[in-house]
Amino acid sequence: MKTKGIITILATGFIVASFTLNVNTSDQKKPWPVPAAAKAKKNEVPSNAESIKAGKSLWNTHCKSCHGAKGLGDGTKASQLKTDPGDFTKPDLQSQTDGEIFYRLSEGRDDMPSFKKKIPDEEDRWSLVNFIRTLK
Amino acid sequence: MKNYNKILLQLLAAFVLLMLSAGQSFAQDSTEEAPVIKKVKPVKNTFGSVFIMDNQSVMVPIKGTLEMAIQHRFGTVDNGKKDLYGIFAPSNIRIGLSYAPLKKLLVGAGVTKERMQVDMFAKYALLEQTPGIMPVSATYFGNVVIDARDKSNFRNSVDRFSYFNQLIIARKITDEFSVQVAPSFSWFNNVEAYVDSKGNIREKMHNYHFAVSVAGRYKISEKSAITAGYDQPLTQHPTDNPHPNICLGFETTTSSHAFQVFAGNYYGIVPQSNNMFNQNDYTVGQFVIGFNITHLWNF
Repeated sequence: MKTKGIITILATGFIVASFTLNVNTSDQKKPWPVPAAAKAKKNEVPSNAESIKAGKSLWNTHCKSCHGAKGLGDGTKASQLKTDPGDFTKPDLQSQTDGEIFYRLSEGRDDMPSFKKKIPDEEDRWSLVNFIRTLK
Repeated sequence: MKNYNKILLQLLAAFVLLMLSAGQSFAQDSTEEAPVIKKVKPVKNTFGSVFIMDNQSVMVPIKGTLEMAIQHRFGTVDNGKKDLYGIFAPSNIRIGLSYAPLKKLLVGAGVTKERMQVDMFAKYALLEQTPGIMPVSATYFGNVVIDARDKSNFRNSVDRFSYFNQLIIARKITDEFSVQVAPSFSWFNNVEAYVDSKGNIREKMHNYHFAVSVAGRYKISEKSAITAGYDQPLTQHPTDNPHPNICLGFETTTSSHAFQVFAGNYYGIVPQSNNMFNQNDYTVGQFVIGFNITHLWNF
């Protein structure tokens, strides 16, 4: 009977700890500072059909597997990531300047790769920003 | 051989016509959709990988790209269930590594199971298709291959060497459809010979071989494509003339990978071996299943 009681207490403790840990990790957002100059940088590529099409093509090749087809953060690899890929339809991302988005996708951090070498043409990365704007 | 030449001429004529007509439509599209004057840039991603099944594609990766390639060719499918359509038959494998140290240049090396061939290659983008400026892309590909089997197979060390030179000319006709044509020249320092009835030593094959390859890709989605290719031998040898190669496949690409699975007649992976020694005959169903996998890292 004593053993049952200990098991019940341990199980309850484990469940409570699990929830607490989950809450802690999902609530914690590591700051990702963007230099002021990068934040203020203007988008060099006008957002038109051609640019959005180019951005969508790059999104499908480089971003979709983690961020999902619609930017909901539900790509096939999302569950393997240590960091939350985020929901790009929400103001959390959409309220950022083009320059901030451009900087973050260019530089990368943790699970997020740096794309300035894989997509070396800046115009292509601006087109990707233009496509990301269509996800809201 | 006459038939082959006729087919080849027809293919080349079709390719030239396709390029000319596509050039017109491309120019029209670009003037209609881009009223704002902007700097034109070379087209990107003519193909999804440096390979297109049994051949090199026109593509040269961006500077700083390291690429690992694993290429596999199973046995011929004509034994049916006996060896699961060649999948359980002895297979041919190449493992390669390449790097782009400069813009437009790729260098690399690999080793192939068949005759333990060690290859070292270079690939350089000579021309880049640019709307309104350059209608096609052109890339040179060349290699040196050392047959690294035991020395008992060779009289002289130089007999181990063979060479391959190819000019790849391609056009991305639409966002979905790209095509390339690639004449090539192969050279083997040593070829087999035989003694005729009069006691004279005769070459079975010439040391050299000319060939031409045509290949295309049609994208069926952003990441997937259907690929097709044809390789035509041109040189007529005294004996053992090689057979052409027909291949059809599927390609899927991601940010860091390209995967191609296909059926063709080439069992070899080193291009000069394929062009000169292919004895798989498509007319009797001697196809092999093959795949190429590449992984890219950008530094």
